[in-house]
Amino acid sequence: MKGVLARSLVRIGAMAGKETLHIRRDPRTLYLALVMPVLMLFLFGYGVSFDLERIPLAVADLDRTEASRALVSAVVASRELEEVARVAPQDGPRLFREDAAVAVLDIPEGYGRDVTQGRRTKVQLVVDGADAVVANQVLAKVDALVRSETRRLAGPALADRSPPIEVRLWTRYNPTGRSALFMVPGLAAYLLAISAVLLTALTVAGEWERGSMEQLFASPVGRLEIVLGKLLPYLVLGMIELQLVLAFGAFAFDVPLRGSALLLFTIGFFFLVGMLGQGLLISVIAKNQLVATQAGALSALLPSMLLSGMVFPLENMPLPLQLLSRVVPARYLVHALRGILLKGNGFAVLWPDLVAQVAFAILIIALATARFQRRLA
Amino acid sequence: MTGPAILARGLTRRFGTFTAVDGVSFEVERGEIFGYLGANGAGKSTTIRMLTGLLAPTSGRAEVAGHDVGADPRAVKSSIGYMSQRFSLYLDLPVEENLLFFGGAYGLSGGALRTRAAEVLEATGLTGLGGATTGELPGGIRQRLALACAILHRPSIVFLDEPTAGVDPVARRSFWRLIRELAAGGTTVFVTTHTLDEAENCRRIGLMVDGRLVALDTPAALKRAWVPDRVLVVRGVDLGRAAAALGAREGVRNVAPFGAGLHLRVDPRRWTGVQVAEALRDAGAREVRVDEAEPSLEDVFLAVVERGGRREEVA
Repeated sequence: MKGVLARSLVRIGAMAGKETLHIRRDPRTLYLALVMPVLMLFLFGYGVSFDLERIPLAVADLDRTEASRALVSAVVASRELEEVARVAPQDGPRLFREDAAVAVLDIPEGYGRDVTQGRRTKVQLVVDGADAVVANQVLAKVDALVRSETRRLAGPALADRSPPIEVRLWTRYNPTGRSALFMVPGLAAYLLAISAVLLTALTVAGEWERGSMEQLFASPVGRLEIVLGKLLPYLVLGMIELQLVLAFGAFAFDVPLRGSALLLFTIGFFFLVGMLGQGLLISVIAKNQLVATQAGALSALLPSMLLSGMVFPLENMPLPLQLLSRVVPARYLVHALRGILLKGNGFAVLWPDLVAQVAFAILIIALATARFQRRLA
Repeated sequence: MTGPAILARGLTRRFGTFTAVDGVSFEVERGEIFGYLGANGAGKSTTIRMLTGLLAPTSGRAEVAGHDVGADPRAVKSSIGYMSQRFSLYLDLPVEENLLFFGGAYGLSGGALRTRAAEVLEATGLTGLGGATTGELPGGIRQRLALACAILHRPSIVFLDEPTAGVDPVARRSFWRLIRELAAGGTTVFVTTHTLDEAENCRRIGLMVDGRLVALDTPAALKRAWVPDRVLVVRGVDLGRAAAALGAREGVRNVAPFGAGLHLRVDPRRWTGVQVAEALRDAGAREVRVDEAEPSLEDVFLAVVERGGRREEVA
């Protein structure tokens, strides 16, 4: 029995060794596994940003008093909004069409008089709603700024009479609301999913295309031995990739690691096994590299981007999509990564994510091996 | 071990309604070169794939190296070497890495594997090429490397499926020298081909037509049994019209152009070479020279195909 196991290990080792040589000799593989994710993380991390920064704001100040100037400078003080033009109130739509501004702050005549006399007064904010994300953030931001300006104007006289209800916001884990902190864990899952699925889909389909799969089947190498031998080198590569992405996230975007690295890598490990298995299953069915690449990219890319909670909150999705997202492993990885990196969550909270990854990995490898068995025979 | 190296009993494989291999039975003796001959699509590769455990037979059974293929495929796979029709080496890897990988796939490892790899490189005349990238080698060399990979683990039987397809004649001859050396060393060789001159290298030949094994014997015996005709090679001038006239005469079984001349098969009871020459001259041909030839396997093959494999019609 020991001899049988030893021979089996020799065969798996031979498969893994050969695969490693292929990887070393094929720059595309290394690029796909190591360069592309970092590049994408860089682009996405900086490009996909929901942070407000220098949002162009036009000002229509019909009041032209000290008070109105004070209001404008309070609004643009944080540099999140930038005053780009002085206009008349009716110019708003034209500016929006020309992409010259996304909001117009409209201060009516009499504003200064009203505030000095302590009367209720109005200012108007016209926002370009074409980009809903930016519009919402501008609204919230200006609202908050105007509120604090109001408190300042009210002065000590009103400060004693505090309002009956005051909401104080306190954002934990990502206090400054930086999108990188929110995006990097999602991106890590997304990038791992794509490269893992593509890597195996290509390598196994290549073996079919080359005809060497038949040669392997004519040797005593078993199906599971082929599967394991193929997966091992890519698993190592994937783990390196995971660390690279997280290290880059920490370095470029200050993404913290507040929880256990061990738990993170354990969940990441099983996620990788599952994704590599998915690539394997695709290439067992697809038979050629072109189809395998397409199917691999689609099956990895779309669910891990749309149904993982990486960009779009799962809570807002219609029920069928929410249910569908439950079989997308990336969803559990995104949840676990955010939990561990940002909140310092431990096993007590994240065990369902781990269980989901392990279950998916076992299921997909079993399915791939079973499908494998039936080919040729 | 005693008994035949390969034993097939009623091997049949159907794909849907198409019967690729139809009730094939034969035995291959230990140490012989057994040629499996047939046109493309005659069922050669399907037979090999059933014998190597790659394809389950629809019915019938086979024993290879003393193991039942259906019951113990792994034992069979360990004792055979297989070079598939598109034998595929890993072209991006060096020659030596290909050898080491296939050695590992057959459970060889460490120093024993390295020693054996060097041995096999020498046996196939590839010494010194170990570090070369496989994809940069010419086809003939790759075929030899493929054979080297197939014999690394000292299999008692090797299956070669169209091993010389797409290889130039010189490389082809040197490849067959390797096959003969292998057989001389005691290895049983089961080789498929549709190139008839190659088949002369085999000790025995099985002929496949449309999935059925219609003839099996030594090349000499096959020629005697299937081509009892007198085979004549004719050279001369203005043969064309004369040949057409001759073809219509009784006892002339086949007239085929052969280079600048003709290839004739005639009933030996009616025609001698001299009579044929006379008849051709009468029909207008000049400078006629007729030589009697040994029938080739090609003649056998044509005779077999013409009669759809029914030998009882041969009188």
